[in-house]
Amino acid sequence: MRLPVQDLMNMYKNNVYAVAFSICKNASDAEDVVQDTFLQYYMTHKHFDNEQHIRAWLLRVAINKAKNIQFSFWHRNGMPLDDYIETLSFETPETKELFEEVMKLPEKYRVAVHLFYYEDYSIKEIAKILRTTESNIKVRLSRGRAKLKDALKEGWEDEQ
Amino acid sequence: MSNREQYKKAFSVLQASGDFTLGDEKMAVLKKKAMLRTFAAAACACLVIVGSSRIAYAANVGGIQRTIQLWMYGDQTDVTIDFDGSGNYSMEYTDADGNTRELGGGGFDVDADGTKRALTEDELIWLLFEEVDVSYNDDGRIMLYFQGQVADITDKFENDICYIFLNGTDLNGTDASLYVTVLKAEDGGFPIDSSPDRYLQYKETEPGIYTVY
Repeated sequence: MRLPVQDLMNMYKNNVYAVAFSICKNASDAEDVVQDTFLQYYMTHKHFDNEQHIRAWLLRVAINKAKNIQFSFWHRNGMPLDDYIETLSFETPETKELFEEVMKLPEKYRVAVHLFYYEDYSIKEIAKILRTTESNIKVRLSRGRAKLKDALKEGWEDEQ
Repeated sequence: MSNREQYKKAFSVLQASGDFTLGDEKMAVLKKKAMLRTFAAAACACLVIVGSSRIAYAANVGGIQRTIQLWMYGDQTDVTIDFDGSGNYSMEYTDADGNTRELGGGGFDVDADGTKRALTEDELIWLLFEEVDVSYNDDGRIMLYFQGQVADITDKFENDICYIFLNGTDLNGTDASLYVTVLKAEDGGFPIDSSPDRYLQYKETEPGIYTVY
């Protein structure tokens, strides 16, 4: 199946932006990733099984593009992360602190944590998106959670 | 509040601010930009500035406008290109069906000391003249366009990589043949890398990430 690219943008552009930002830590680069990801969809003739297949594909493309952009000379000198965070409207100081601590995680933990907690993907699905093993994702999630617990104390619940 | 609920609240503040209008014209511009970006990346650090004896140009307000013959998807056509002096260009040309098309793009080079600099007009024209395009046609075939050549490379991929030698000339009319490597990426795109000396190789250094060597 194929869906109109404009419909997909309306549905998923913020998801693509969030996962790209979690890697780039830079709004300008994340915006470029959003544009390039949907352009990639527009250019590809790939057919998808269903909407969830498209969503997972968009996120995987965005993750790859965000990783690539960090090492390219197109990497923009955007606003420093701390300054950008001050422009965001967090509901509570706790959510702001969580955001900041997630951004301090190593990238491979951060991406797994984001796909699990924000996109609601299972470990199996994350492994498929990131092209790695389920045990690898379990380790990344476990270590990411441990670091968040260590930093946030009561602000982060213990999980298995 | 659970970890998941708190996480969603924290990251829901991230909203894409861009105004992404994705009509066909806009997509054509973006596609051209993306392809030039890929090509410029491959060519960075080995650019050669050439003379522009075959290029007619005239200064305009705030930039340079040049008229040049370029191959656009296999058709040679006169193209008027406006350069803004900051490494960006926009162009207008008439396609084979008589439609006026607008395209744009830009590029940077990385000097030996690692600093970025905007490409000059000559460098951008050099890149455009030697640009290799690969895209699906209306029949779903994978077509390669280089200067006056159009090749169906659909069946030339082995392990998702196609190697093809292209005879061509540079702006001075001297030989500028290329060894071209085209990757059929899992995301549907066609990263292209070329060299005048050898076929460049792709290596998947991590899932979905390819390094050229």
